[in-house]
Amino acid sequence: MTAVTIISTRALSKRYGDVTAVDGLDLDVRRGEIYGFLGRNGAGKTTTIRMLLGLIRPTSGEVSVLGHRIGPSETGVFSRVGFLVETATAYPNLTVRENLDIQRRLTGSPRAAVSESIERLGLGAYADRRAGRLSLGNKQRLSLARALLHAPDVLVLDEPANALDPAGIVEVRALLRSLVTERGVTVFMSSHILAEVAHLADRIGIVHEGRLIEESSRDQFAEKARAFSAEALTEHERADALLTMDLERYFLARTGGA
Amino acid sequence: MLRAVLATEFMKLRRCKVTWATLIGLSMGPLGIALFMWILREPGRAADLGLLGTKANLSGLEATWPAYAAMLTLIVGIGGMLVLSFIVAYVFGREYDDGTAKNLLALPVSRHWFVIAKLVVAGVWWAVLVVIVLLEALAVGVALGLPGFSASLVLGALQNALLAAGISYLLVPPVAWVTVWARSGVAPIGFAIAMLALGNLFGKTGWAEWFPWSIVPLLIGMVGTPQTLPAGSYIVLAMTFLVGIAATIAQLRFADNAQ
Repeated sequence: MTAVTIISTRALSKRYGDVTAVDGLDLDVRRGEIYGFLGRNGAGKTTTIRMLLGLIRPTSGEVSVLGHRIGPSETGVFSRVGFLVETATAYPNLTVRENLDIQRRLTGSPRAAVSESIERLGLGAYADRRAGRLSLGNKQRLSLARALLHAPDVLVLDEPANALDPAGIVEVRALLRSLVTERGVTVFMSSHILAEVAHLADRIGIVHEGRLIEESSRDQFAEKARAFSAEALTEHERADALLTMDLERYFLARTGGA
Repeated sequence: MLRAVLATEFMKLRRCKVTWATLIGLSMGPLGIALFMWILREPGRAADLGLLGTKANLSGLEATWPAYAAMLTLIVGIGGMLVLSFIVAYVFGREYDDGTAKNLLALPVSRHWFVIAKLVVAGVWWAVLVVIVLLEALAVGVALGLPGFSASLVLGALQNALLAAGISYLLVPPVAWVTVWARSGVAPIGFAIAMLALGNLFGKTGWAEWFPWSIVPLLIGMVGTPQTLPAGSYIVLAMTFLVGIAATIAQLRFADNAQ
């Protein structure tokens, strides 16, 4: 059985004057997988995500999501897409609940979806707090709650772990994994942190200077990384990396994380 | 869909300080006129106010209901154009200033509904402000006990003020367009001030009836004597309104929203 493609781009390019932000990108994201889109700052991740969501228009090439070609007139498909673009934002004068109620009304979701979304992202204690008074981490949770509120089939997440503490990152990882396994949600997530992508993604694409330079499964990447580490890193550098991992686990254990 | 979008746009005004700021700003108008009337009526005491008293005396006005009504129309007409531009700049611009525009534009809602709903919200906000300020002006006028009151005079002044307020509303879509084009609530304020200055300039030429931003000054007598507008002016206003809406929708639909 062939996997169904949920997100695809063909020869997708975006130029701003002389600057090429995205250059001939061909992507296929399959149903029920988590695709990690990895790249350094300025590699073209956010520009790609904005084109996937129809926020900016490609200079050339095509984007389709759930079989719908994304263009100026396409709106229907977005009832099945949840997203988070770059920084977490919300109406600062409205409470968490009110911010989510706006999303509920605009996506035609049931009333209960707001409370469910608040619960799912652990925002219960902040539900009636104004978004302008939330910490950055809780703003990020609010943005994720907004993205998930209408039970989308596809999630497009730009740096979803931004501003979250280590325990929050672990929670979000678990949440995304459960959405994939329980509901078959497809996740396209960008990150500039390999460790974040490595924990979660089924497949990883590396974008550099607007071009997709490598794409493999997580296991293949792990193999390559181990080989690279054995060859290129000193004993001391490997010990440092292990220490970082151990410290993170210790911190999580001490602060009630998984 | 418009109903849902409208509900969310009104919801965004909750605990919003800007609504109160516009109310305070515009309601200062009648109080300012009242002070001016008081200075005219009490020149002896007003002399203590220095330049303000001198200016009041030089204006050639008298502390009467006709003078009060004429100044009220001026406040609602010209001050209103600025306050209304500020409202529209806020309603559209806050999405960029708060970084929420990107959250709206990838939803299963056609973008024109946001433009229409925001213009409706601005219109309702404006209508409420105008009604409150006109009621306040009536109360202040009565409290001042000015001579020359007549029901027909007050009704005429109210009619003119409401017409000026309505015409001002027809000029807001270009302000909305500048907001979404600039992706900021600051640029449209500059645009509104520039248009007001241009309106004043054109008002002194023979083209006043044809330049949208000259029409309110023309109507209320800020440039020349107050006059009934020719049908062509209403066509110009309608075109400004419709072209402004079309440009705002096109900007949101076809331009990059890379905020």
